[in-house]
Amino acid sequence: MGPVIAIALKDLRQRLRDRSALVLGFLAPLLVAWLISAAFGSVAAFHMNVALVDQDGGPVASGFGTFLRSPQLSELLTVSTATEAQARAKVEDGSLSAAFVIPKGFSAAVTSGGSMPLTVLGSVDASVAAQVARSLAGSYTAHIEAVRLSVATALDGGAPQARAAALAAAAADLQAPESVVPRAAGTRELSSVSYYAPAMGIFFMLFAIGFGARGFFLERTGGTMERLAAAPISPAAVMVGKSLATFVYGVASLGTVAAVTSLVFGAEWGPLPAVVALVLALGLTLVGLTSLVIAVARSERQAEGFASILTFGLVLLGGNFIFISAAPPMVRTLSLLTPNGWALRAFTDLAGGADWTAAVTPLLVILAFAAVTTTLAFALRRGVARP
Amino acid sequence: MTALALTAAELRRVVRDRTFLFFIVLLPVLIILLIGVTISGNEAIRVGVVGERSTSLAGRLAQQLASELDAAPALTVESLTSRDAALGALRRGQVSAVVVVTDDLDGALRSGRSVSLPVLIPGAAQTSQAALAGISAAVAQHSAAVQAARFATGLGQRGFEENLTVAERLQAARAAAPLRLEVVDSTSNYLPMGFSYSAPTMLVLFVFVNALAGGGAIIQTRRYGIFSRALAAPTRPRDLVLGEALCYLALTVGQAILIVGIGSVLFGVSWGNPTAAAALVLVWAMVGTGAGMASGTMFRTPEQAGAIGPAIGIAFGMLGGCMWPLEIVPESVRALGHLTPHAWAVDAWVELLSRGGGLADIAGYLAILALYAVVLLVFASLRLRSSLVTS
Repeated sequence: MGPVIAIALKDLRQRLRDRSALVLGFLAPLLVAWLISAAFGSVAAFHMNVALVDQDGGPVASGFGTFLRSPQLSELLTVSTATEAQARAKVEDGSLSAAFVIPKGFSAAVTSGGSMPLTVLGSVDASVAAQVARSLAGSYTAHIEAVRLSVATALDGGAPQARAAALAAAAADLQAPESVVPRAAGTRELSSVSYYAPAMGIFFMLFAIGFGARGFFLERTGGTMERLAAAPISPAAVMVGKSLATFVYGVASLGTVAAVTSLVFGAEWGPLPAVVALVLALGLTLVGLTSLVIAVARSERQAEGFASILTFGLVLLGGNFIFISAAPPMVRTLSLLTPNGWALRAFTDLAGGADWTAAVTPLLVILAFAAVTTTLAFALRRGVARP
Repeated sequence: MTALALTAAELRRVVRDRTFLFFIVLLPVLIILLIGVTISGNEAIRVGVVGERSTSLAGRLAQQLASELDAAPALTVESLTSRDAALGALRRGQVSAVVVVTDDLDGALRSGRSVSLPVLIPGAAQTSQAALAGISAAVAQHSAAVQAARFATGLGQRGFEENLTVAERLQAARAAAPLRLEVVDSTSNYLPMGFSYSAPTMLVLFVFVNALAGGGAIIQTRRYGIFSRALAAPTRPRDLVLGEALCYLALTVGQAILIVGIGSVLFGVSWGNPTAAAALVLVWAMVGTGAGMASGTMFRTPEQAGAIGPAIGIAFGMLGGCMWPLEIVPESVRALGHLTPHAWAVDAWVELLSRGGGLADIAGYLAILALYAVVLLVFASLRLRSSLVTS
């Protein structure tokens, strides 16, 4: 055990003396997490400032005003009144998210069975707000539509035109057959920093593949490996020692990112035992991937190239660069071909309020990935631990 | 001539490095593709639809409701196969809310009962009000047709199915209060979504990041003793500095042209006014040249340039609006972002691509970027020259 620890400690000391390893393993992910937290930390729930332009003054228009100011919409909307010109100017300059223009004669037209459009003013830069405003107007006018439609369907079925007013009165008393009730799903809303802290932590941790593989070939060129081979230490002990250094570096890097982003930036990582298990499993995967690059490469330059391509390939596919949940289903499925994709899925599930069991499948997949890459590396052990 | 010879030698060495080619050619294309695909359909509110217990929606009304939700312009709907899948999608932020279509929806509606559809939301209700508003409008639309069919059926006219078909036809034909959405402005403060967003922002990011990482080449040249040997010949230090500068300019211009070309051909990106776009690309390439040369004179080892350079480049890209629009971040972060040249370059692309601007419209941005380029180039040239003279 002694030589293994000694080799691991020597490798770690050497790595920590290299400023780039410190920057990439510890400073860069924290800097990125801070940037994301600064950019999105104060983003509150979706809220809209809207204006009501009531050119009608009738009961339907005033009912719409009451609907917009109702308690259930109070968190979503701040409602003001304006003239059409003011509303247009404010929507254009961004001080209003959207505006509703109810034209003169609107109440009279829709209650007498006529038709008159209600205009929603929106901005090209607030398309979601414009669509939400349109939905709100649609929800309000749905009852009017239901009454008109009921009468029209009855008339189409043969009811006499003379009874239209009586039918409208009867239809107006009916309750809408379908409604929605919000129910708490027991999940938490995923914040940007809770997603990008593990995403960036894993991304920068994977850079250690390059450091580890390069270091191995440098030592071989420098003759250190030959001297180790001459010492009474088994090649296996040398490899375990070097793997241990990579493992400790990876775990320390991701663990530091997890601790600092949780404590300082309020990132949600999930229950501690599950997070620790995932970080350790990712550390093992890092060892497997590093060994694989060492086994495949023939020189320091090749090792550097393979490591870079592998790192960026994994993070691109795994979704570390983008908010993978917003990606098309195929991209989300492809992300599960990578250990980092599974890790991100586990971290987002845990951050979203899932219990530790949500981490079990990802954990097993990541461990399997570590086992497969390590086995493959040993199978290909061309020149590994040999001078 | 000496400078050109050095430029050619340096370029040959760089182009032979396959890893560098991966970062310059393949990686930008893959990232443009990935980001472009991810943000192209991202504007509507994402909601899920799931059956209460059964994996598929039972009955015509349930399926119609799902179609109604799917057709709502405010929403992008994802069909989910189970309640567990729904909870997973909510946790991961794949959807903002999930409509649970109850199994007895058809039976209840046909028999005249009212149905309350549960909408699963994460956290507190107020954070999901936008999604709830979109869902409520689509459900109300569906509800109106069902109400009309029930009303007419209750009068003893035709059967429910027939009345429902008539109600749907009438609903599609004319509305009492049709909604008209009018967009009051035509020019945007954001880049267009999709590849027109990812291509220009990644051009800004990659020209800079790869230039910083490429700073390692200068360090390597010094390590190989190429500078010392060149200086032993009748070569002036300033020719060497010029040669290095031309090499970086060729690389940054090449990187930019590659992204512009691939963006146009593969992803159909329109780059706006050609003269203005060319000027912006050239000035940005000069900023990259300055940054690359500065990297080559400030880092001690090629590994440092290759590792720390990209980290700095990514951080500047985030601050400068390459990863998300600066319009959506707090004002203080936006101001901080404008300390980086990236923010000015992205602002200039917004002017060109979203507002149809020309050379005159981006002249101010170009002047600021040129200033960055001059400062970086002068700083890096002086440092490189002094290291050549003293080495």
